[in-house]
Amino acid sequence: MLKLLYVDGIPVWRNIVVLRWVVQIVSAVLVLSAIGLFFVNVSREIEAREIPFGFSFLEREAQIPIGETIIPYDPSDTYLYGLVAAALNTLKASILGVILATLLGILVGVARLSTNWLLNRIALAYIEIFRNVPLLVQLLFWLFIVLSLPRVRDSYVLFDAFYLSNSGLYLPWPAAQEGFWPWAAATAIGVVIAVYVGRRLRQRESDTGKASYPILAGIAIAVGIGAVALLVLAPMTLEIPKPEGRFARPQGGAQLGGSFTALLVGLVIYTSAFIAEIVRAGIQSVTKGQTEAARSMGLSTLLTLRYVTFPQALRVIIPPTISQFLNLTKNSSLAAAIGYQDLVSVANTMTQIAPAISLIAMVMLTYLAMSLTYSLIGNLYNRSIRFKGT
Amino acid sequence: MSKLKLLLVLPLIAIFALVACDANGGDEEAMAEAQGMMTEAQGMMTEAEGMMAEAEEMMAEAEGMMAEGDGMMMESRLATVQGRGTLICASRNDVPGYGSLDSAGRNVGFDIDLCRAVATAVLGDPEAIEIRLITAAERGPTIQSGEVDLLVRTVTWTTSRDSQWGNYVHTTFYDGQGFMVPADLGITSAYELGGASVCVTSGTTTELNMADFFRQNNLEYNPNVFEDTDVVLDAYQEGQCDVFTNDRSQLAALRSALPNPQDHVILPETISEEPLGPVVPHGDEQWFDIVKTVMAGLIYAEAYGINSGNVASMAAGDNVKAKRLLGTEGTFGQETLGLSQTFMQDVINSVGNYGEIYNRNLGPEGIDLPREGGRNALWANAPCTDCPKGGQIYAPPLR
Repeated sequence: MLKLLYVDGIPVWRNIVVLRWVVQIVSAVLVLSAIGLFFVNVSREIEAREIPFGFSFLEREAQIPIGETIIPYDPSDTYLYGLVAAALNTLKASILGVILATLLGILVGVARLSTNWLLNRIALAYIEIFRNVPLLVQLLFWLFIVLSLPRVRDSYVLFDAFYLSNSGLYLPWPAAQEGFWPWAAATAIGVVIAVYVGRRLRQRESDTGKASYPILAGIAIAVGIGAVALLVLAPMTLEIPKPEGRFARPQGGAQLGGSFTALLVGLVIYTSAFIAEIVRAGIQSVTKGQTEAARSMGLSTLLTLRYVTFPQALRVIIPPTISQFLNLTKNSSLAAAIGYQDLVSVANTMTQIAPAISLIAMVMLTYLAMSLTYSLIGNLYNRSIRFKGT
Repeated sequence: MSKLKLLLVLPLIAIFALVACDANGGDEEAMAEAQGMMTEAQGMMTEAEGMMAEAEEMMAEAEGMMAEGDGMMMESRLATVQGRGTLICASRNDVPGYGSLDSAGRNVGFDIDLCRAVATAVLGDPEAIEIRLITAAERGPTIQSGEVDLLVRTVTWTTSRDSQWGNYVHTTFYDGQGFMVPADLGITSAYELGGASVCVTSGTTTELNMADFFRQNNLEYNPNVFEDTDVVLDAYQEGQCDVFTNDRSQLAALRSALPNPQDHVILPETISEEPLGPVVPHGDEQWFDIVKTVMAGLIYAEAYGINSGNVASMAAGDNVKAKRLLGTEGTFGQETLGLSQTFMQDVINSVGNYGEIYNRNLGPEGIDLPREGGRNALWANAPCTDCPKGGQIYAPPLR
């Protein structure tokens, strides 16, 4: 009977296959019971404390005000719509922030490696200061800078069209007219043609060696078609803000809100300091021989960076930079402190009359979805630039 | 090897044998295979039995946990608080009069004193409190989770909050929402606020009432919503918004703390009802009743003329109602609630009656909100019950 304790002639307690399975099963049981315990506990407490939970509220009127939205919003709209409007606010801060932080981060990162002593030190100071001060403190700092601008009645006015005050910057903005969609369609077609022509020209350039200026030609075509359509269809009129009413708040045009500006500046500067360090690390990871070889072939410093160093550095730069994009997106939830109504701020307000647990679960899922989308795009890009086997 | 051990090992072997078969691709001898299959079958049976036993065990365990959980629920909040030795109150320290810090860094204010009164009633010590500072928007989740014993942070009583957040105990202050604007704008009525930018604290009824008011009156406005009252005040002072809206009493309190209070006017319109009072977590009726009784005690102490200076003489005096309140004659339910017979003596001695708390924080010694003739006066002048003073501060009789 003792034979039963042998598998393949090895006793069970020394059989690697058996042991691996035991470890797998035990850890699976442990993890599952931990999760189970968590859920049982939560649902019991929710019941015991009569905490409301459910999603029927999403169809009801939200009743809460949101100051700045991309899509038109009114307190009589539903909770769901209000949450979408708020999520778009977060998305706006996130997308603009990611673009600007990347550009600024690359500039500072390259400056950090400059042989120009002054530039180098300035970049160093920039990175160390903004990387090491808590973001919330920085955001409040930027908010107080914005608040120290004159109030709206005493705005700085430029050309009777730009108004700068602590409520933000009011500026002329095109307002869509009847012909907007036909114009947008015409422009889109123009862009498609431009891309096609550009590709053809690039092919010609690499086939025959004759300079064909594909980018220049492409831009000229796209802008040309767009401009002609603009003149023919007159799809937009320029709206110029004008102070109105007792409070002299400019109406019309576009407004770059004070709190939004503070948030954007804070996020961009904070994140760019991290990205700068990543860029520096990436560039330094390319061996010196590459630069030397490029220089000895007669490439200028800028061209070396553009065609030799940077493409190789990108492989090191992309993955950690994606994490920074995610951080920026999640950090934008600090907006509530400085008066920009992002998703978290609006959801918090909604918890007064709607179940908090449901709302927080929805907020978590929204951030998760945003972050995963960033990761996906980043990883796809990363895959397209990585070394392909030779 | 004992049979018992073997029996225990069998099911395990069955699983492993399965795995091993899988891995080896089954090129074993027929005997071994047959044996394996037998073992397997045997194993499966044992396994099934084992699983049954396991399931039963788990059921028993779960029941045990449930019982334990019930036991935990049975432990009343009163017992928890007394075991802990401190009362945890969620409140604030950013509005003079309601909750702020004095020059010695001590928490003071109307809301804080209500917390101290409850702490004295259940622990005998007005200092046995822990103040959790929370923002307006955090009030709901904080009291829902039950992590604090009492929420006293200028919380407006509304029906949906009552059903979702916790149990509202008593209205201890009647307030209403108003607007404050810089005097130089020359505005005299809230109906002239069309086109304004309005500063407001997020997660408040104020925010919702404001939306209602502007919508109802077809006025354009732009909300500026901040999390912290401090930042709201900064934004208003710097003129980022033209109007500051809040409960009138808080506006008065904050205005008095501004550099030049006379440069700001509070508009006459009151746009909402804001009954303020303490909130307790759902799910413990005894605790709910205790806080209710303490609030009633504070109010009747004022009505009967008992204050922090005359507790001893009143306790020995000849006013039957006052003696009942102080625990020297009869009872009004102290025992049922698990409180000492004379707990109100300690409470009045250390924090005073309702009127004293009001005067110290909101009245002449505090931010100087008028009381007499207003809604926050007592309903009657003790001991006469049929000479009403027109106020709304009232409580169920102590009997």
